[in-house]
Amino acid sequence: MASFFSTVKRIYLAIYNWAVFTGWIQVLIFAIKALNESGPAAVYDAVEKPLQLAQTAAILEIIHGLIGLVRSPVSATLPQIGSRLFVTWGILHSFPETRTHILVSSLVISWSLTEIIRYSFFGMKEALGFTPSWLLWLRYSTFLLLYPTGITSEVGLIYIALPYIKASEKFCFRMPNKWNFSFDYYFASLAVLGIYVPGSPHMYTYMLGQRKKALSKLKAA
Amino acid sequence: MKVTLVSRSGREVVRGGIELSDSATVKDLQEAIHAKTKKYYPSRQRLTLPTKAGVSGKPVVLSPKSKVSDYCEKGNSDNLTVVFKDLGPQVLYSTLFFFEYLGPLVIYPLFYYLPLYKYFGYDDTNRTIHPVQTYAMYYWCLHYSKRILETFFIHRFSHATSPLSNVFRNCLYYWTFGAYIAYYVNHPLYTPVSETQWKIGFAFGLLCQVSNLYCHIILRNLRSPSGYGGYQIPKGFLFNIVTCANYTTEIYQWLGFNIATQTVAGYVFLVVATAIMTNWAMGKHRRLRKLFDGKDGRPKYPRRWVILPPFF
Repeated sequence: MASFFSTVKRIYLAIYNWAVFTGWIQVLIFAIKALNESGPAAVYDAVEKPLQLAQTAAILEIIHGLIGLVRSPVSATLPQIGSRLFVTWGILHSFPETRTHILVSSLVISWSLTEIIRYSFFGMKEALGFTPSWLLWLRYSTFLLLYPTGITSEVGLIYIALPYIKASEKFCFRMPNKWNFSFDYYFASLAVLGIYVPGSPHMYTYMLGQRKKALSKLKAA
Repeated sequence: MKVTLVSRSGREVVRGGIELSDSATVKDLQEAIHAKTKKYYPSRQRLTLPTKAGVSGKPVVLSPKSKVSDYCEKGNSDNLTVVFKDLGPQVLYSTLFFFEYLGPLVIYPLFYYLPLYKYFGYDDTNRTIHPVQTYAMYYWCLHYSKRILETFFIHRFSHATSPLSNVFRNCLYYWTFGAYIAYYVNHPLYTPVSETQWKIGFAFGLLCQVSNLYCHIILRNLRSPSGYGGYQIPKGFLFNIVTCANYTTEIYQWLGFNIATQTVAGYVFLVVATAIMTNWAMGKHRRLRKLFDGKDGRPKYPRRWVILPPFF
């Protein structure tokens, strides 16, 4: 019975990882095409649909971690996916003024490269039971460059969105009301920026640790 | 006798080991280690016996009051290997509690007395302060003053110290929530509940605070003055029906505050605090039930609520 469930689990995870992988391939191809044909301002419109789909699908990964389907700790997946969703929906989708900025190009390329490698890595592991060592190396090395470029793009886009957020009153809930509750999206965005300060080193050092573990296993094998 | 002191990776912490008299206590050993290593004062040391291969379970911790020879194996009373772990810089529990409670005590009145809301974009000049906001401030300050006084005059701590990193973590928790709640209750656009509701809320809260104080006094009397003592079955007052009556009264006390002040911020704090205390309560209840299992002449731990009658 147990091995039946583990086979089902493998098939599900294989399908999940390869499906999202295709989404990100689309994002990268559309982005490069747009850059070639029109320039950075056109990148967002070209990638919007596959980007939103592929990024939002990642919510499933939090559930996978919570129910124990995968080993990744929720403490590492939650901040990563949280920041991605915030930038995708809370900034780019909600404040179109940000879409033509050049940081969108660096963001999309950083994210898609990282995710293409990550999803194919896990997809192969689930489907074939192993991953070629060059893919393992890519997965645990490209983050060294792509995390900084990606994080810089995210922080930069949130920052340039701030004046538009403040002016628009979008997502804000004001006092007075009988539950004495309020939500100010501008302050919330500032708080998110604040979280990047401890959050980025945390994520980076977590990956460094994972890299050490993975590459030493490779050497030993 | 000679004690060989090793780190968990096997490296010798004090080269050549430590020479002690045969009747030395673990406390003497700790002081000798401190003398030899300078930076590892006794409360930073965690001393355990090496775990045997194949034997599971937690390693045996050396207790300061015992004799070192008590931990030696039979027939080998001249030599003992002890595993050392550095717990990191330590602060007294009373220091930790003092600072984490001082924050809310100071921060909340700032929102009440000072015209801070103009920095948030609200007009502070013509505001009316509702009576409930004033009483809320008194209630809050009474609560945290009580906590500080209990820290110095009532509580007996099982461990004298806590890691320094806990100071930052705990202060972040208390101070941030303190500011978050204070912002809303003292807001110029605050909407109070009916007079009946806030009177009931504060009265209930005060009743629970007094009960909470009494629970703390009972807990204090369970422990001997040196603070070192094994567990005892708590009894008397609410402890007869609830293992962690002190947490129960604390939770209901915050409920009273929230019934009176009605803010989402306050209720969020209540939920988080309840979750944390419930976690502690489950651990304590489990420990007491394991210790008092009714065997070997030990009393059996009575059937009781863990923390929140009538739910859990």
